[in-house]
Amino acid sequence: MVHQLLPIAAVDFNTLPQQLVLGIGIGAVYALVALGYTMVYGVLKLINFAHAEVFMLGAYTALFTAWYLGFSPQSLQALERESSWLNLLIMLLASMVICAIIGVIIERFAYRPMRSQPRIAILITAIGVSLLLQYGGALFLPVSPPPSIDERVNPYRGAYTITLSRPSDRLLGQKEELERQYQESNVAFEKQLEKEKSRFDLSPQGIALRNAKQEAERALRKVTDEIAASGRELKLPRGQMIMLGATLILMLILRHLVLYTRTGRAMRAASHDFDTASLMGISVDKIVTVTFIIGSALAGAGAMMQATFIGTPLTTFYGVSLGVKAFVAAVLGGIGNIPGAVLGAMVLAIAETLVVWADGSKWKDAIAFVILIAVLLFKPGGLLGSSKVEKV
Amino acid sequence: MLRVESINVYYGAIHALMDVSLEVGQGEIVSIIGSNGAGKSTLLRTLSGLKRARTGSIQFMDQDISETQACDIVSMGIVQSPEGRRIFTNMSVSENLQLGAYIRRDAGVGKDMEEVMQRFPRLKERIKQNAGTLSGGEQQMLAIGRALMCRPKLLLLDEPSLGLAPNLVTEIFKIILDINAEGVTVLVVEQNANRALDIAHRAYVLETGRIVLSDTGKALLTNPKVKEAYLGG
Amino acid sequence: MNWGVRAVSIVAAVGFCFLIQTVSLGFGADIQRLIALAGLYVTLAVSLNLINGITGQFSIGHAAFYMIGAYTTGYLSIQFLKNSGMPGPVWLLLMMLAGAIMASLAGLVVGLPSLRLKGDYLAIVTLGFGEIVRIIVVNSPFDVSFFGVFKFFTFPNLGGAYALDKIPAIRELWLIWLLAVVCIAVCRNLLKTAHGLAFLSVREDEVASLAMGVNVTRIKVTAFMIGSAFAGAAGALLAHYETSILPSTFAMDVSFIILTMVVLGGTGSITGSALAAITLFALPEVLRRNKEPVTGGTFLAIVIGVIAAVVLIRWFQNEYHGSKNKKTAGYFASVAASAIVAFGLTFALNAIPALHDKAFEGSKLRMVIFAGSLIIVMLIRPEGVFAHHEFSWTWLKKVLRIKPKSEALAT
Repeated sequence: MVHQLLPIAAVDFNTLPQQLVLGIGIGAVYALVALGYTMVYGVLKLINFAHAEVFMLGAYTALFTAWYLGFSPQSLQALERESSWLNLLIMLLASMVICAIIGVIIERFAYRPMRSQPRIAILITAIGVSLLLQYGGALFLPVSPPPSIDERVNPYRGAYTITLSRPSDRLLGQKEELERQYQESNVAFEKQLEKEKSRFDLSPQGIALRNAKQEAERALRKVTDEIAASGRELKLPRGQMIMLGATLILMLILRHLVLYTRTGRAMRAASHDFDTASLMGISVDKIVTVTFIIGSALAGAGAMMQATFIGTPLTTFYGVSLGVKAFVAAVLGGIGNIPGAVLGAMVLAIAETLVVWADGSKWKDAIAFVILIAVLLFKPGGLLGSSKVEKV
Repeated sequence: MLRVESINVYYGAIHALMDVSLEVGQGEIVSIIGSNGAGKSTLLRTLSGLKRARTGSIQFMDQDISETQACDIVSMGIVQSPEGRRIFTNMSVSENLQLGAYIRRDAGVGKDMEEVMQRFPRLKERIKQNAGTLSGGEQQMLAIGRALMCRPKLLLLDEPSLGLAPNLVTEIFKIILDINAEGVTVLVVEQNANRALDIAHRAYVLETGRIVLSDTGKALLTNPKVKEAYLGG
Repeated sequence: MNWGVRAVSIVAAVGFCFLIQTVSLGFGADIQRLIALAGLYVTLAVSLNLINGITGQFSIGHAAFYMIGAYTTGYLSIQFLKNSGMPGPVWLLLMMLAGAIMASLAGLVVGLPSLRLKGDYLAIVTLGFGEIVRIIVVNSPFDVSFFGVFKFFTFPNLGGAYALDKIPAIRELWLIWLLAVVCIAVCRNLLKTAHGLAFLSVREDEVASLAMGVNVTRIKVTAFMIGSAFAGAAGALLAHYETSILPSTFAMDVSFIILTMVVLGGTGSITGSALAAITLFALPEVLRRNKEPVTGGTFLAIVIGVIAAVVLIRWFQNEYHGSKNKKTAGYFASVAASAIVAFGLTFALNAIPALHDKAFEGSKLRMVIFAGSLIIVMLIRPEGVFAHHEFSWTWLKKVLRIKPKSEALAT
């Protein structure tokens, strides 16, 4: 084994805050999707593999809604349009509603008939549904070239800039002074140039003026660089801020629903014990349906926001990698635990950001699985879950 | 009030209940005694709709409920406090009681909650506490209180004395008598035959899935067969 | 079974492998390749069945072991085959061993978490393991270092996201099928011994088997190691047959295809896995060869027919309490009725221009059919087509004579 001292990998602490901002935005989407996994797992003890495909269909719904609202490539070519917040809201609601419907259909026709079967059989069904939607969807949905939602549908583009630190006044004064000197030398040189016969064969005076100009330019550039290095700013993309805000609102609604309503209590009861819940007069089928509605609608919201504000092109495999990561987030937070899913999603997103920041995007996708395996080995209950090892 | 006519219940190939018939009249306390594995819990699960009888019929207030969903049976007034208490350990005591009243939407829930508290003062002290932290006896009280929260017409109790200290058992059976005195019909399933027969108006003996004896509680207490098998000679 | 029968079986099996080789030489290169791949899939399905079906450890990352075998041996052959001076088949045997060892080491690594995890958690770990292996290959070469400070070694270049190519070609069809036969034989013989019962007991009830003195830990890890060793050996054969391998050859859906084979064949049935592997492997090839695209109308008609059949069969299962023969008749009747409906609808729906003009290429339907059959099997027969039954001579005799024996037993 060769022990060789290498320079520490090129880590730049200046870029870290910016990376983290982006990471938290991704974390919001992970959280929305992870909630669906965790809630369904809580009630049915099933890893709903098809949840990722519900997410994918949500993104397509957002795409079609955007097209319908006049943001399809053809209609955008024909005329320039201004979007408004209303369009975004319509897209969000459309995605949530369609996803909820799809989730309920999947539960009703694929999972409910299997309820009395061993859990592995339901899990295989879930894998089957997931594959069916991926490959079957590719037969009907536009996949090549992968369409993406036109960014013009989002009226809130650009970013807020936050100045973290300002360059010192001394530097700014110096810059002003140097700028003036540069202008002067430049003007002097230009004047001399008019007298010269050729640009390429300068008289000694011309050469002197040119050197003076170059000197001034060099000094100015040096100060400008110094200013750039000492002044740091943080760009907060407006789309990401909306994502974060919407996620927060949805989570507060969910929290209220689960903790303080009759249905929420029934959901918690059902996730604790199906039989006893039905002895309380709770219709377990209804609660399972409600769980799928909520989980799928949240995935739809996540999908719409990811597709609109981050804008990756859509294929029917859109949900696969995100789905696995959201599931990891749910396990990390303690599966079945609602605040845990949000925490897990944020931890995972930040871990991914750190990996990208330290070593480039090569290992970005691996970190989720490394975390997953580590969590399952050392704390199978997850960060907020009980430490009880699962018995089947 | 409740009439069960020759039901047969299976777990896969296992015949758990064979031609079981029984009757519970309005205002009665009926006990079913039997040893482990006799099918007592299966019988209650079938009555509550958690398990389906393959043949036979169950009638409650002249309505057939053998095909009714578990949650609808609760709305009809049959409420069960299941074996092993099965309280929701991850929720507070008050949430457990509120879940008991899940099917009710009337305004009387708060008042009934007060009543349950009065009946079980210990629960009142622990109302905000997580139900998982209660002792065995308190959990049993919570389970019964939770069942009372939806104003049952017929209360099914599955082994209410299981795992409790003798003084607590006495307390629980006293409470059952109280509840009955207030007009609730009670069907109690017990291994503790002595106590169960003592409070029962009528009782059945269940053995390996069959009803083998039925009589008044007092008569069964003195029945030599029952004495030998269940009352320790 | 005495030694004579055993010897005859072995000779017959080896003879069968050479027969396949001889027969396939008569075909073109592409058919030969299909026969080779079919053999590999039989090995993969039967070896996954050992983990999944027989021991009950739900693994959905089998392609990872296949990949480890292929890449390890591909790399070794590129580096060392020329200098070794060994004849091809001998080297290939050596490589199969190397692939098997590497894969079973990986199996050990994956098997260890299975000691603590059950059911779907284990499934996710195996899935994650498969992805990690794939990402490692895609990112190769890279330096393994301690936070960029101490460099331990450089992970070799496995072609990254592009192909690892120029692997020396050693194409021995008989060896591929011999591996499949050996894999079947090992699994079958394992089940016939007391060891095999231990595997089955772990599947049925871990706690109970622990109480019976079964070393559950050892059984699980052994299952993972044997199963992945066969997959690794299959990977070695694939690498030398194809001469160029890609990370995407071993993507998640390959694991799912192998899983489908096991589930469809019947979890726990070796016969089922082997037959399902051949059938499911042949099906897409038939589709690919059928140049005529499937029209939308036909597609829709088939979907409706399948749904109708599933609904009818489920109805018979749940509601109809007749004799077994009547139930079977009911199943056949419902399949026949659905087929007729689908056939009729084909003409009706294709009359609609919109449906007639929308056409699907056969090859794109491959995974849709896999996924669909996975769901259908789960809905109407979760234990798989063969369930836990195995092919055996006694079984064949029983079927052919329409069970006089069982009647004699019954009376």
